[in-house]
Amino acid sequence: MPTFKLDEREIPFEKGETIIQAAHRAGIDIPHYCWHPGLSVAANCRMCLVEIEPPPGRPAMMLDVLEWDADAQDYVPQKKPKLQPACQFQAGEGMVVHSEGSKNVKEARRAVQEMLLLNHPVDCPICDQAGECRLQDYWLEHQGSKKRMKDEPVHKPKAVVFGPTIVYDAERCIVCTRCIRFCDEVAGDSVLDLRERGNLNEVVLAPGRELDHDYTLMTEYVCPVGALTAVDFRFKARVWFLRSARTVCVGCATGCNAFLDFDPRDQKVYRHRPRENPDVNKYWMCDEGMLSYSRVHENRVLRAEIDGQTIEFERGLKKAAKLFKSADPDRTAIVLSAQHSNEDNFAMLVLARDYIGSGNVFVNGRPGGDSDEILRDADKNPNARGVVGLCTSAPPAPFKELATALAAGKFTHVLALGSDASDPDEVAAFEDCENLVLLTSHRGPLAAHADALLPACTWAEADGTFVNRTGIAQESERAIFPHGDSLPAWKLIAAFGRALGHSFGWTKLRHVRAAMAPDPGAEVAADAEAQSGAPA
Amino acid sequence: MLKRTDYLTKNYGKPDGWKLAAYEAAGGYRSARKALGMSKDAVIDEAKKAHVRGRGGAGFDCGVKWSFMPKESTKPHYLVINADEGEPGTFKDRTIMEQNPHSLIEGCIIGCYAIGAHACYIYVRDELHLSKERLWGAIAEAKAKGHLGARPFGKDYAVEIYVHTGAGAYICGEETALLNSLEGRRGEPRLKPPFPAQYGAFGCPSTVNNVETIAIMPTVFEIGGDAFSKLSELHGINDGGCRLFGVSGHVKNPGIFEAAVGLTLRELIFDLGGGVLDDRAIIGVIPGGSSCPIHKPDEIVDVAGDPRFEPYNGKSVLDLPLGVDTFRGIGSMLGTACAIVLSDAADPVLAYHNVMRFYRHESCGQCTPCREGMGWIERILDKIVAGTGTIEELDQLSDIANSVMGNTICAFGEGAAQPALAFVRRYRKELEDYVHNGGKNQTGTLTT
Repeated sequence: MPTFKLDEREIPFEKGETIIQAAHRAGIDIPHYCWHPGLSVAANCRMCLVEIEPPPGRPAMMLDVLEWDADAQDYVPQKKPKLQPACQFQAGEGMVVHSEGSKNVKEARRAVQEMLLLNHPVDCPICDQAGECRLQDYWLEHQGSKKRMKDEPVHKPKAVVFGPTIVYDAERCIVCTRCIRFCDEVAGDSVLDLRERGNLNEVVLAPGRELDHDYTLMTEYVCPVGALTAVDFRFKARVWFLRSARTVCVGCATGCNAFLDFDPRDQKVYRHRPRENPDVNKYWMCDEGMLSYSRVHENRVLRAEIDGQTIEFERGLKKAAKLFKSADPDRTAIVLSAQHSNEDNFAMLVLARDYIGSGNVFVNGRPGGDSDEILRDADKNPNARGVVGLCTSAPPAPFKELATALAAGKFTHVLALGSDASDPDEVAAFEDCENLVLLTSHRGPLAAHADALLPACTWAEADGTFVNRTGIAQESERAIFPHGDSLPAWKLIAAFGRALGHSFGWTKLRHVRAAMAPDPGAEVAADAEAQSGAPA
Repeated sequence: MLKRTDYLTKNYGKPDGWKLAAYEAAGGYRSARKALGMSKDAVIDEAKKAHVRGRGGAGFDCGVKWSFMPKESTKPHYLVINADEGEPGTFKDRTIMEQNPHSLIEGCIIGCYAIGAHACYIYVRDELHLSKERLWGAIAEAKAKGHLGARPFGKDYAVEIYVHTGAGAYICGEETALLNSLEGRRGEPRLKPPFPAQYGAFGCPSTVNNVETIAIMPTVFEIGGDAFSKLSELHGINDGGCRLFGVSGHVKNPGIFEAAVGLTLRELIFDLGGGVLDDRAIIGVIPGGSSCPIHKPDEIVDVAGDPRFEPYNGKSVLDLPLGVDTFRGIGSMLGTACAIVLSDAADPVLAYHNVMRFYRHESCGQCTPCREGMGWIERILDKIVAGTGTIEELDQLSDIANSVMGNTICAFGEGAAQPALAFVRRYRKELEDYVHNGGKNQTGTLTT
């Protein structure tokens, strides 16, 4: 691989790569606002300027500048080298690039940083971006001086509603055009553009439009400053109190890698945002996925319920188990959930196969929905492929067949993971089910017909593995502690098994995983940790 | 040395002088006919011999620029004419379009042929209504006569010319912003590379030439490239032929004058411009459009170690021939060779304010240093002119301009930083007078 020198370090690069790309890959951050690895090069912020030595024998391109000599009370002509944006300039073999090591670069970055803050309101206390704002970070790293312009800054529109999800503040905007380029290049909807010119520039909507495509929250996420804020997150939290879990989005079968931001103090989830993975979601997530985190706190089943009455967990567990004590295995149906992890479903399968002795395995999940060519999959379940992979002897039968069988009176007992209904029209068939026990995190459509509800964790409260539509198995980390009496589903299943009198020994997730190990369910053992990266 | 020529201007001011009949009576369209009978390489070679340095301000050799176009290409090629003349003090191209439009049309035919283009877009500044009308008229006349269209002069090389109305911004005179604007996009400069010769109009190989650069091409092919180049006193340093010089500001006879390259500022101001209004003293001259540094008349040429400057060292800058490399050599810029003269009746601080206000207004705002730097400079000058500026702020002017210089996407940054630095360097005392005394020792006016 050819290399170039960046501040005395040899950086390998691939032909056609820019300096910033190669440096980024080598883990060196050349400061930037407008550059984003997933978007076209705009080179407009000028923060990534670097000094490149001319090829041997060629003179450096020099520019005339002036320095004021206060002692002599006169200007002294000076020369400075022409700098180049690292985001635009292609790396070349043997090239010598100075970044941190050049006083010219330092001065240029200081100047750009000062200029970006010149008309900025510096309203950090009331800005949602505070704590993760490039303007703050780079002020400290590259400027560190007082504002010299003492006059009133330029005023521009504030709190402009771009659409149902995004609010824009033109005064905070540094016109890097990341949001515009995202809409143009990734979302494929040129709904944003600039108007005016010079320091009156602002981002505007196309006439007659709203920012209402399926990836609007990404515009906020790519915004390096606080110009775009998400309606959902505005004024809800200070980011420095939030911690991030490396999760996998459970909104659909794509399995976008994400960070789930939560406050450890109140154990609440505040935000779901993309985590870079070139093989799955690159740098992006859809609105549906980013907002799906709210389900962690909505419509939950947090206590055991018997016949609609809340009951103390252990008693509920016993009562639910009692319903199954005399069940005929052939008339017992087991329902897996494509919403749940491999570990949860594996536990369910083990309970069915090894203890209950039922081969009547079905799979349920959330009903299908919209899809696109970007990320969104019509299958709104994160682990349909994982569930199928776990069922090595015979594939699980679809939910609709269970409904038909119930209507025909074939089953007296149903033990289901989750309370969803892949086919909402078939829910009525469960009305007459004599013994319906649901191990569920949410009060889904089946919950109304359940004889017993036992509280399970959402994906945010448990570690788990999900196999996406392309067969990549990905681990999702627990963010918050289980709410209410809920348990990770595999644990709840084990507890239910013990209540049935079986010797379920699993108490730790690793016990489940050890039992799963030889299972070929997951085709690719993806290392979620290796895929995590700092946001670009 | 003053040597008047009239290749471009012979029909200026004559009744119907802009019409085809007058143009052909003076020998028009013979060059295009001749060029279309030559090989493309021969046309480019002839243009190279003429050493026509780009008349739009950058001074790049036209023949060399044509030679950058790819020889083999699967995409169409385009010739684009930059007629977005908007540089303050510059008003030469409009005289060509208004009074000698056929020279531009003929030049376009030659240029199209040289670069392998069959279509030419003339991007005309919107405000130049008469220019557009005369160009449309000239195109219609040339087409009717068969000089333009499917078979110009019966030759099998189709050429179509389209006049495109500009969308009204100084930045659209920057060649890549012009291309964006031409395509219906926001008029912002593109990143280079790729250069227009690889990726120009509509993503196809294109050459962007100034109006005058192309309009002089019929003359080049009329008298021959080498003979044309030798009209110039600076032929030896590859700055050939004749060009339009302009002079405005405080002169008795402002206007556009055609002369051989080699003319000095002194000749332009006194011999062609008729001298300074009221015979006052000059306090400053901007050689070619407001982007160029302003010079004081007492500045002496002093370029050590360059034999080209031996004849001029020790002379006043007013006696240095107006050439691309002569002015570049003294750290200045020839620009469009349309000089602006300030007499001592004018207040240089107000002139500075005026120029910088223009650049603040016209910065496209795409990149940070120019967008914010221009606004900051204007703001400081607003205060200085109002008598509320401080020395601290005056000191910041050079600092800001230094930070804009060279750090921007396009040459606007340099074009704005150069005058910002040149004025503050030469008129610091006057600026300080505004800071300390509210400018009471200055004239307080821009007019005589």
